[in-house]
Amino acid sequence: MVLTFPAEAIDEPITYTLIKEYDVMINILNADITHGREGNLLIEMSGEETNVREALVYLDNKQIQISPVIKTILFRESRCIHCGACASVCFSGALDMDTATRELKFSPERCIACELCIKACPLQLFELNFGVN
Amino acid sequence: MAIQKSYQEINEKIKRGDAVVLTAEEVSEMGRSRSAREIAEKVDVVTTGTFSPMCSSGVFINVGHSDPPIRMEKATLNGVPVFTGLAAVDLYIGATEAHPENPAYGGAHVIEELLEGKDVELIAHAKGTDCYPLKDIRTTINRENINDMIMFNPRNAYQNYPAAVNSSRQIKYTYMGSLLPRMGNANYSTSGELSPLLNDPQLRTIGVGTRIFLGGTTGYVSWFGTQFKTDTETNAHGVPVSNAAALAVIGDAKAMRPDFIKAAYFEKYGVSIFIGIGIPIPLLDEEMAARVMIRNDQITTRILDYGDPGKPELGRVTYAELQSGEITLNHKKIRTASLSSLHRARIIADLLKKELTEGRFLLAEPVEPFPHRKDLNPLIIR
Repeated sequence: MVLTFPAEAIDEPITYTLIKEYDVMINILNADITHGREGNLLIEMSGEETNVREALVYLDNKQIQISPVIKTILFRESRCIHCGACASVCFSGALDMDTATRELKFSPERCIACELCIKACPLQLFELNFGVN
Repeated sequence: MAIQKSYQEINEKIKRGDAVVLTAEEVSEMGRSRSAREIAEKVDVVTTGTFSPMCSSGVFINVGHSDPPIRMEKATLNGVPVFTGLAAVDLYIGATEAHPENPAYGGAHVIEELLEGKDVELIAHAKGTDCYPLKDIRTTINRENINDMIMFNPRNAYQNYPAAVNSSRQIKYTYMGSLLPRMGNANYSTSGELSPLLNDPQLRTIGVGTRIFLGGTTGYVSWFGTQFKTDTETNAHGVPVSNAAALAVIGDAKAMRPDFIKAAYFEKYGVSIFIGIGIPIPLLDEEMAARVMIRNDQITTRILDYGDPGKPELGRVTYAELQSGEITLNHKKIRTASLSSLHRARIIADLLKKELTEGRFLLAEPVEPFPHRKDLNPLIIR
């Protein structure tokens, strides 16, 4: 999720409070926070269900906007050489080799962003992208 | 009467625009309904193609002499070390040499950028001599301002290669790509019935001096490839069931096209390079026709387990099965994928067919055949 901090909440140790008071695990993936301005923090939060629920109430009380995030895979398709190395690690079927034309087809709507293709592509044509829903 | 055609006769037909040329896939299909004799009568040349990672590759360059001159002893291109042990300004860019701080960038990427016409930073150091006084140089080079770019690859176009699976519990990152645990996938790297050396398994028409398609231009077979061996087991159709022959090839990299030379990085393995090679096979007689008719279901390869240090063989499989997208091993269905681009291999075979049909590419008879017997020595640690 992305937490959007209003300018006045920047001074508060929000992450510290979440961990100490609500006993949730926080994995920070990206942070863009500047003193005196609105900021964004991209995190993964996990823990006991009641703790997570109370943590979300705390964030709401602090006027922090919570936006769920969608991980998507970016594919620089124009540089693809159609080898197919990504296709055998793609279990959702988003990357599929046409057995007749031997061309790789990418169906983004089937992608579950498992990220295995990122390391499988010898030309490094896949990237992870975080988009706010 | 037996059919016999000479290189000269076929070349005369090519020059007149009368040669009948098919790709290896087309002739395999034709072989379902025609005999070898009929094909030998009808067809003159069959074109093959492969576009695969071929690690044993690189480019010699001569960057020209500076004023004052330098005898380069240590040099990097875009930070990638290059070999300088050749006179003053001859360098060899090894495709798999990696940038010391960025393992995903290496010699192959430098070669690709040179082919694309980009500027590449050259930094070199020397001790300085009376005739080469300069000790340090930092400048940029590109395809236009250097004298020579000669691709010389000691081992390319392997004749067959085993498919890879991983029986262990962890993902394995190998030169055969990402191998998922518990045999989650199987990767292979040959263009099957379109592959050059599988269409002439005894190398009757491929030897020193054979003219080939290399990286988008004309190249030549310069020698047999390193690790060339002749003792690999063959199947009932006369093709080796694992890696056997290989080629050393040479060509003018200044004339090559980045579409057919592509830098690659295999996660936690390192840098490699895709090389596009196409070889024309003349149908000199009925026996050659029978060779090029071979189909994917007649070409076998081994399945090796990269999850076990000894890489034991787990079974055999045909390219028809591998190319179908799924194989069955020990009653388990396993998804397959290729590291070799069959799509681009077909483009190469089609391009070569067009060149031959339009009389722009002539066959070169080998000036020296390859060894009939050669085995491989392991490195003994003593």
